Amino acid sequence: MSAAGEKDYQASPSPRLAPGAGRVVGQRVTRLEDAPLVRGDGMFAADVSFPRQLAMRVVRSPIAHGRLLSIDTAAARALPGVHAVWTAADVADIPPIPFRATKVRGLEPYCQPILAAGRVRYAGEPLAVVFADDAYLAEDAADLVVPDIEELPPVLDATAEPAEFLPGHSTEPTVVRKEYGDVAAAFRDAHAIVELALSVGRHSGVPLETRGAIARYDASRDLLELHGAAKKQHWNRDEIARLLGRPPAGVHLFEGHVGGGFGVRGELYPEDLLVCLAALRLRRPVKWIEDRREHMVATNHSRQQHHRIRAAVDGQGRLLAIDDVFFHDQGGYVRTHGARVVDLAAGMLPGPYRLPAYRVAGHFRLTNKTPAATYRAPGRFETTFVRERVMDAIAARLGLDRVEVRRRNLVTPAEMPHARPLDTLGTAVVLDSGDYPGLLDTALDRFGWTALQADLARRRGAGECVGAGIGFFVEKSGLGPSDGVRIAVDKTGGVELISGAASVGQGVETVLAQICAEALGIDYRRVRVVRGRTDRIEFGNGAHASRVTVMSGSATYRAALAVRAMALETAAGLLQAAASELSIVDGHVVRLADPGAPLMPLGEVARHMGPDSALMVGRTPGLSAERWFHSAHMTYPYGVHLAVVRIDRGTGEVRVERYLVANDIGRAINPMLVEGQLAGGFVQGLGGALFEEFRYDETGQPLSTTFADYLIPTLAEVPPLDLIVSEQAPSPLNPLGVKGAGEGGTNGVGAAIASAVDDALRRPGAVVSLPILPRTVHALLRT
Amino acid sequence: MRDSIAFLLGDTPRTLRGVDPTMTVLEYLRGPERRCGTKEGCAEGDCGACTVVLGRPRADPGAAPGTMTYEPVNSCILFLHALDGCQLLTVEDLHVHGAKLHPVQQAMVDHHASQCGFCTPGFVMSVFALTQSAASVPDRAGINTALAGNLCRCTGYLPIVAAAKAACAAPVSRDDATTVQRLRAMRDPAPVRLAAAGTTLFVPTGVDDLVRLLAAHPDATILAGGTDVGLWVTKQHRRLPVIVSLEAVEGLDRIVLCEDRIEIGARVTLEALLPVLAGPYPAFAAMLRRFGSRQVRMRATLCGNVANGSPIGDTPPALIALGAEVRLRGAGGARTMPVEDFFLGYRQTALALGEFVERIDIPRPRMGERFHVWKVSKRFEQDISAVCGAFRLTLDGATIAEARIGFGGIAAIPFRARATEATLTGGLWHEATLASSRETLARELTPISDMRASADYRRIVACNLLTKLHAETWSPGATPALAEIAA
Repeated sequence: MSAAGEKDYQASPSPRLAPGAGRVVGQRVTRLEDAPLVRGDGMFAADVSFPRQLAMRVVRSPIAHGRLLSIDTAAARALPGVHAVWTAADVADIPPIPFRATKVRGLEPYCQPILAAGRVRYAGEPLAVVFADDAYLAEDAADLVVPDIEELPPVLDATAEPAEFLPGHSTEPTVVRKEYGDVAAAFRDAHAIVELALSVGRHSGVPLETRGAIARYDASRDLLELHGAAKKQHWNRDEIARLLGRPPAGVHLFEGHVGGGFGVRGELYPEDLLVCLAALRLRRPVKWIEDRREHMVATNHSRQQHHRIRAAVDGQGRLLAIDDVFFHDQGGYVRTHGARVVDLAAGMLPGPYRLPAYRVAGHFRLTNKTPAATYRAPGRFETTFVRERVMDAIAARLGLDRVEVRRRNLVTPAEMPHARPLDTLGTAVVLDSGDYPGLLDTALDRFGWTALQADLARRRGAGECVGAGIGFFVEKSGLGPSDGVRIAVDKTGGVELISGAASVGQGVETVLAQICAEALGIDYRRVRVVRGRTDRIEFGNGAHASRVTVMSGSATYRAALAVRAMALETAAGLLQAAASELSIVDGHVVRLADPGAPLMPLGEVARHMGPDSALMVGRTPGLSAERWFHSAHMTYPYGVHLAVVRIDRGTGEVRVERYLVANDIGRAINPMLVEGQLAGGFVQGLGGALFEEFRYDETGQPLSTTFADYLIPTLAEVPPLDLIVSEQAPSPLNPLGVKGAGEGGTNGVGAAIASAVDDALRRPGAVVSLPILPRTVHALLRT
Repeated sequence: MRDSIAFLLGDTPRTLRGVDPTMTVLEYLRGPERRCGTKEGCAEGDCGACTVVLGRPRADPGAAPGTMTYEPVNSCILFLHALDGCQLLTVEDLHVHGAKLHPVQQAMVDHHASQCGFCTPGFVMSVFALTQSAASVPDRAGINTALAGNLCRCTGYLPIVAAAKAACAAPVSRDDATTVQRLRAMRDPAPVRLAAAGTTLFVPTGVDDLVRLLAAHPDATILAGGTDVGLWVTKQHRRLPVIVSLEAVEGLDRIVLCEDRIEIGARVTLEALLPVLAGPYPAFAAMLRRFGSRQVRMRATLCGNVANGSPIGDTPPALIALGAEVRLRGAGGARTMPVEDFFLGYRQTALALGEFVERIDIPRPRMGERFHVWKVSKRFEQDISAVCGAFRLTLDGATIAEARIGFGGIAAIPFRARATEATLTGGLWHEATLASSRETLARELTPISDMRASADYRRIVACNLLTKLHAETWSPGATPALAEIAA
């Protein structure tokens, strides 16, 4: 391990959860979340309503780029039932949307105002808002708002020379550069150099639930509430409070059910601030629900990048250096993530391979499209595609097998932890643990890779156009810095677990309950998990970056152990026994020597620790504890994607015949939920690889604004899928040994399918862009 | 004439009067009923989050008395009048408060088939409908067909497939007999007229009434299944002053099997048509299975797909190739024309004011006839065609006695490739004829370029469909002469 990360890099102190499956950790238990969801009792944003509420409708720019000369709102204001119509002048006192996730300075001029002022920068940008008695009226009134926009030529290509964003500011606010090793020498001395130009199309999370925000102001308590929140409640709360000039304790955010996050939901958007401001000014609750067409132009896009990459290798196909220049199509503004996706792409591109020298320049460029930010495996879906294209190209150039080239370059277990002289998200990149070659072999065996090659050769002989592909990836997860959990046992033995985590539907409640139940010795169904509420816990870092199981899970483990210790200590006094002789099983205190004989229910212990109990005089009452988990380093899950595709020679259609995802995540708290993450992630990756793309015409008009034009995969596109949830490399960085499981299913799909399409076409390097469209394949078949 | 509609919401009778006739069932459920279990994901029938089930007494011959059919439909584009005389079931109706979950719901839990849960109520209702209609546990293809109209962004679908199989393995019957009785008791044969919010919607019950209404309101919007018209209202915010619904018109829901043709009435849904076409025209049926989704096919009609004159309708190419005829009817009587003559321009048809499409007649297959239709789209289900090509060849041994070819997705109207037909007709169905017909077709087609496909791609793929047709219909020595077939 190099010196770079050594200073602050250390394994998590004990106690650690013993390896292997426990009573409930590691078990495929059903989810606590499900019953209300399958009954239709879920409470999603659109299901939240308050008496006297007004509906907000956003008037959006029909033009991609222009000077906003004026907005005529008179007719809309005159419509009965309309309470207010605002333009930029009405909200001039509100600062633009701030950043939360960037170290890059100088991006402030590129922030998005909550209503366009002076310029419009993408079709769909909010120009005005209408508040009316109901949603239909608001929509009618919005149709009467007439903007006068002088069109300007749009910037639609991020690889073109930067233009002017504002006087003195170009459309390239920054270039993210990272470099180590002697790149020039490596290329000078290389046995061979491969050079590729590769593109990833614009697509995004597109959850089934659109966004929504409902604000109400309780003047009696001077309290502003925002419902429909997700992902980053505490940061959003603090920022809303700051931007509206209120103390944070006077603003609370509430997360109900969340219809999918995938990175895009829960960032602070203009609409969130507008409903809050309106609730304060109009003294009525204000509800805004995005419609699907709005969603396609208003909610964060992602992914669009163009890479010009060169790799230097020695005679054995071992990487000597990579030099990558890429262009990131950010869209009209820089939103909350700042330059995060560029930073992640630059930091994660080397992936699982030993790379002596590396240089990357990520050009962060604004265009006149919907602003972009993170989408599941941000910066990794893109760069795994790019890097694995390079590995295939090296194999082709040197006449080596694709698998063998990878094997020669994979970081070995002996090299773990493997520190790269790189950083990303403000943390040093230290691959914490892993047996990359081992998982590769496991996956290839399971897929029957060797026999498959013979079978494919036979089928090609019979005239079929079929091929197999591979993609190896490294993920990152468990982003710090901290998370806290408070656990309290009530007199009935019920447990309340309050976390600063959020849930976007991935099963947070079940997983935290399992960890709590394992450590405490209770039934996980007795645990009520509170998340996504700023009024119940002071801090929280939310749900993103595959962090919840690592961060909030570890905090849960510690808090539950603390509660357990308190319970045993109290029970020991009550039972005249030594705490070390006692344990908790199924919610009852037992003797270790006789675990089948319950001595005292946990609720009884809690009762003895209540505020009225004589035992607690002079002490803080309650069978409860709060514990924190801090982490300065991320954990790095890794895995392999394998694909078989068949191509229709007549139409160029690519059909995935079967697929495998192998992902080592250190430990699976609930293997069923992990498989759910991998399968769902895979299908999203499949969308980005073959179907989904936000397209624009030459004037910057969005063409993909419905589910008929933006094609997310249906059931018919999903091939037989094999999943390997590997637990060979527990993370040393947390007491559970866990790594995040949210993004590995998506990460390598573009890479593996591109590799398989090349193989089917018998043309290494044929695929240079995603999504791989029938017409592109068809053209390749003809040349 | 009634000014109200009546239906069962779950097991509770509801009578609605004075409602906006263009209010959708979804708006009604989430609004006045405050039943928020049914979700809006797109409001244009593309995602299935709003799926509800319409129950109605079985009317088909051979149905056991006192049994119901349960149809999954998209409530987001369904107007309220369609509920008249039906039972409307939503996700809230499956589970009895305080009792255990319905087996479909429990299967979703057991198989981890719900993550964020937003699409879940729609899936629950689609799976519920499947359990009520499937005679046995469907295979993957059967489940694909049943669930193609439900999008999920979290689970990767496979757990939902497992849940659907489990639910179909142990279906739970409803008390159909009681429901049938209650619906019978509520039934009112009088035609309906709903007027509110600037729209008047008529639901006539007889063809003569329909003709009179259209004569009186020649600018009326004619509404069959509403899978297209629904979008005019929900997405384009068009005001439709007068709507005439075919929902209850006696006889228009009939499929008549004649000696030489199949007559398909204006209200016949694609889902009802599918099994009828599966025998004579399996390729047509296979294409229909990819038309929209089951929820869409439960409402969408063949006649509506033609009558709306959309350039991307998937049935006109097949109908053109089959030599189908469209029968129009108005106050002046009825007239019949070939389907290809019905289309005049983009969304322009031969329908005169006051006329409606009464039915479409598809000829039955004749000796030596081979029919194929292929839809080329990026996504298998629920996608708009880049190219849809249909071919009917009549082979007499190796000779092409007749060829008819229809294309859709190519231009502003469905296209009959007459020059290519001429090149083929009378030729031997050999490589040389294939090559010359490909050349003719490439010249004859002038496709558009749009986001779905380029003109060049469309032209080549259309030609490739000819090659595919050749591969499917020709193997030397295997095609008997017509005389041999007759003998």
